[in-house]
Formats: sequence, C-alpha cells, structure tokens
Amino acid sequence: MPIDQRHIGKKYGPTRYEVGLEKMREFAYAVGGGVPTSSFGASAPSGLNPLLFDEQVAKDSPYGKPIAFPTFPVTFAMAPFGQAVTDPELGINLLMLVHGEQEFELFDAIHPGDVMTTTGTVTQIYEKAGKDFVVVVTESRNQKGKLVVRGTWTAVIRQG
Amino acid sequence: MAREFKVGDTFRHVRECDKYRPLYYAGASGDFNPIHIDKEVGMMAGLGGNILQGLCTMAWAVEAAVNFVGDPGRITRAKVRFSKPVMVDDTITYEGRVASTEGGKLVMEISAKNQKGEEVLKNAVVEARVG
Repeated sequence: MPIDQRHIGKKYGPTRYEVGLEKMREFAYAVGGGVPTSSFGASAPSGLNPLLFDEQVAKDSPYGKPIAFPTFPVTFAMAPFGQAVTDPELGINLLMLVHGEQEFELFDAIHPGDVMTTTGTVTQIYEKAGKDFVVVVTESRNQKGKLVVRGTWTAVIRQG
Repeated sequence: MAREFKVGDTFRHVRECDKYRPLYYAGASGDFNPIHIDKEVGMMAGLGGNILQGLCTMAWAVEAAVNFVGDPGRITRAKVRFSKPVMVDDTITYEGRVASTEGGKLVMEISAKNQKGEEVLKNAVVEARVG
C-alpha cells in the first residue's frame, strides 16, 4: 500500500546528543576494521588516521582536538529518520525497508564535548517501480547554533 | 600539506565484511536493526542472511577518500546509492578517481564492487576541501 503523501512536511525531533571521545574512537575503530572497544587489549586498527582518536596527535594539529570520522553523524543524526520510518502513521513494514540512498554535507569538524541538536523533516514520499520511497532531511547544529551536518536519508520500502 | 591533486588521480581501498562487522558497526553507530545483526531475521526478510549496514559500506567509501586525501577533517560531502546488500564474508573493493579539482574542491568518484564484481554502491561521490 502506498504511503500517504500527506505526511510530507512532517517533522521529528529535536534530539540532543553529546559527542564523546570514546564513542568517536569506537566508531573510527569499527569502520577501520577493528573492534569498537578499549577493553580486552583492543587497539587502533592499523592505518587508522590518528586525528580520529589520538588526543596528543590532534593537539599538535590545526584542529587542536580529535575530530569525528566524517560519517560519525549517523550516531546522532539518524534519530529523526528512525522516528519517521517507525512512525505508526506512516505504517512502514520495517522488514521490507532498505536504505536506498544517503548524503551527508559537512560544514564543520565535530569534536569531543560538542552538543548536537538534530531535527528532521519528511521532504519526499513517492512510488517508483513498485517500491515506496521516503526521504528525510536532517539538520544537526552544535552548541553554538552552527549548522554542522545536513543528512539526506532515503528509505526504500519493498511492497509485499 | 602542499599536495597537488590532479584530475584522473586514482586510489584503491579494500575492506572485508567479517562475520562480526555488522555487530561492531551496530555497537559503534547505534544501528541495531535486526536485519543487520540477526541472520534468521535477514533470511525472513528475504535477504539471504544478515546484511551489513549500508552506512558502513558508505563509511568505507569515505575512508578510501580520507586515506587518499590524508585528513578526515577535509571531507565536506559524501553521497551514495546503495545498489546491492553487502553480506558477511563479502570483500569490497573501492576504486576512486579524481573527477574535478575546481574551486578548491576535490570531487572523487568512487566505485564499490564485491568479489563477484557486482556494484554495491552506485554514483558514490566524496568531496573534500583542498588548498
């Protein structure tokens, strides 16, 4: 059943997220082929850029502090997208949902201690080739009110 | 880092989706959708098993660009279309090419193929600030 287009414009959030060094590090380790923990003797996977996790290296860099991996925003910016696809009013069968497309626009580096506030808006709902598409655009601002990340999340729902 | 980037420059990156990668990525990212971490649910959804989070496949494309550029803080944009799920034990080869260097912006087009040569991403583009 097609998803009702009257939900275009529906907003989700704001959600608040405080960025922590350990979470940034875990994310970088998991992407970099390592294990996302500091326990059990786990260490940085080889070849991982130290700006992502090493405070000393970052201190001596122009950034001053470690910077988050470019797609780290999934940890906080996905929330409104998650709320939209589980919204009973949209009635999406999660088992039929796959992630269709993704875009991130990054306007500033993210550091430990940053507090991100994210809102999301359903911008498109359409049907194509027997599938439903739902597009959510999220905007995440830091504690200074600066727009840091815009995410464009496209869900594809196979019709059962 | 006065490095010159030229149109046509290429780079390559290989990542394997080991058995626990979807779990590790779930823990790191917060994406615990059962189709990613539970083989049975993945089967039930008609996917033939649990599939890697598309955002991890995307993160590896970005990682390819980060390694090429040398500084994760320079990445300004990344966009992908997920064309085929990545399964446990798949090996993904990323091949990037500089498409443009105009206006202090490096545009990198990246292909991502599994061990069968099937594209798991389409139209993947990562952009970085240079200069």
